[in-house]
Amino acid sequence: MMARLDPYNPTPASRASRVVVMLLPFVIGLVCVLLSFVPVARIIGASTMPAFALMAIFYWAVVRPEMFPVYAVFVMGLLTDLLSAGPIGLWAFTYTVIYVLVLTQRFLIINVPFSVFWFAFLVTGLVEGVISWTVASVIYGALLPVRPVLAHVIVTAAVFPLFAFLFGRIERRILPAG
Amino acid sequence: MPIREISHRISLVFMLSLAAALLLLGRAETYVFDNARQVVTDLAAPLLELASRPVAAARRAVERTDEYAYVFDENERLRAENLRLMAWKDTALKLEAKVARYEALLNVQVDPSINYVSGRVVSDNGGPFVDTVIVNIGREQGAKSGDAVIDTDGMIGRIVATGAKASRVLLLTDLNSRLPVVIEPGHYKAVLSGDNTDWPKLEYLVATSSVSPGDRVVTSGDGGLIPPGLPVGLVIQTSDGNLRVQSFANHERLDYVRVLKYEFPTEVARQDPPALLTGPPVKASPAAVPAAAPVAPEIPGAPQTSASGATTRPPATPPASSVKPKPAAVKPVTTKPVVPKPTTATTVPAAGAATMAPVPDPADADEDEVPSPPTEVEPVNGATE
Repeated sequence: MMARLDPYNPTPASRASRVVVMLLPFVIGLVCVLLSFVPVARIIGASTMPAFALMAIFYWAVVRPEMFPVYAVFVMGLLTDLLSAGPIGLWAFTYTVIYVLVLTQRFLIINVPFSVFWFAFLVTGLVEGVISWTVASVIYGALLPVRPVLAHVIVTAAVFPLFAFLFGRIERRILPAG
Repeated sequence: MPIREISHRISLVFMLSLAAALLLLGRAETYVFDNARQVVTDLAAPLLELASRPVAAARRAVERTDEYAYVFDENERLRAENLRLMAWKDTALKLEAKVARYEALLNVQVDPSINYVSGRVVSDNGGPFVDTVIVNIGREQGAKSGDAVIDTDGMIGRIVATGAKASRVLLLTDLNSRLPVVIEPGHYKAVLSGDNTDWPKLEYLVATSSVSPGDRVVTSGDGGLIPPGLPVGLVIQTSDGNLRVQSFANHERLDYVRVLKYEFPTEVARQDPPALLTGPPVKASPAAVPAAAPVAPEIPGAPQTSASGATTRPPATPPASSVKPKPAAVKPVTTKPVVPKPTTATTVPAAGAATMAPVPDPADADEDEVPSPPTEVEPVNGATE
């Protein structure tokens, strides 16, 4: 193992760039979390924000799970919890469960046409909606209205192709072949 | 390889349990997480503000294009509205003058003007279960928890947490939002409670209230956190018959907002009762005294006996039984300048006492109570009309 790495002998700069590249999916995830708090939907006068973080989690869990560990997902969820005023742990829990689910069902959606990939994302979004709605309802002790959650999931699924395209470009251009 | 696989599985299970534990911990250790929230919000606020600038510019561009498309219709509409508003302006000016005179006349304690800080909404709610936004006004600008936040159309929410440079605003539509309101024409009190839908509910409305869709809802100021009279919205009725409120402020177009630095007026300056309630003012008493010249020497003593209580009066009456009814009638005049506060309480019973007392000399009571208030009120009333 070590013998094979010896001739590589990287300079500090290349080491750093390697670290940056390895961290890229996580950084993209964090940017997506922040983006879901930027009022972009209000440009067109809508108030329902897509779950950008879910797109990142789904995409990287399917395409590059080795560069996107469960810790990254947990941190993304925790950041969402801290930035939103909702119950602490709601998104950390939901995202971690979604990540584990996607990871276990990954073989079903790898190397499939994009339409199937998209449909799988819609199903993931619905599962996310159900989990988060259930957890939030239990925490608040009341049945929360379903419509905002449903709108949230539909908007997320509708925007997904754009982000899948962007993530795909980043993956093919920047990340080393895996 | 199997070891790696196992450790991977263990880490998955560990993080899942940690996430579940966090749900419980978040409920138990609210203080720790609230602090963490402050720190994260403060750190993220500059980033969010930076990101929200192009977004705001883009939104304005979109709105501008929208406006261009309807510029002719909009112009027509504004002309018509302007005509209506001019008529309203006339009415408002008249009413303003009238109210100012009444306030001066009644010596009303005018609400202190409210200072405010303007800022921008820099974040969205970030999820379907909460309706909060972050504004770039923090403790350094004087915002504090509980402050009302308004935009040009009306109230949008209140501050629930403040950092050094950014604060979180709980919108009226949020599940946790409760706001004491008044529904205007009938002055019915209710609590506006959010439930994560676009239209908050009206709760605790008395069953006999006749609130109808279209009524105006304003803040009641109950509790002293929020100034009274801030416009909130209009009552609407949903298809299932519930009364809800459509807010004046458009939650989808939140941009510039004001945080009201309202202080509940606890240190109110002492206020003398209005002249109308206490009867004739000081200057009127010299006029009354010459009219009742023979009774004048009795006046200083008489009020004290009457003020001390009804039981003490009977023993005091025998020496000056002929003069007794007169001090009782004149009493309000003399006590007023000396002790204003008790007289307000006593003037109302005094009217009742006067109705009993007048039997001996109704002329005096008439002279004191009926003619003098009109001399005070009439000139002012005449001036207003």
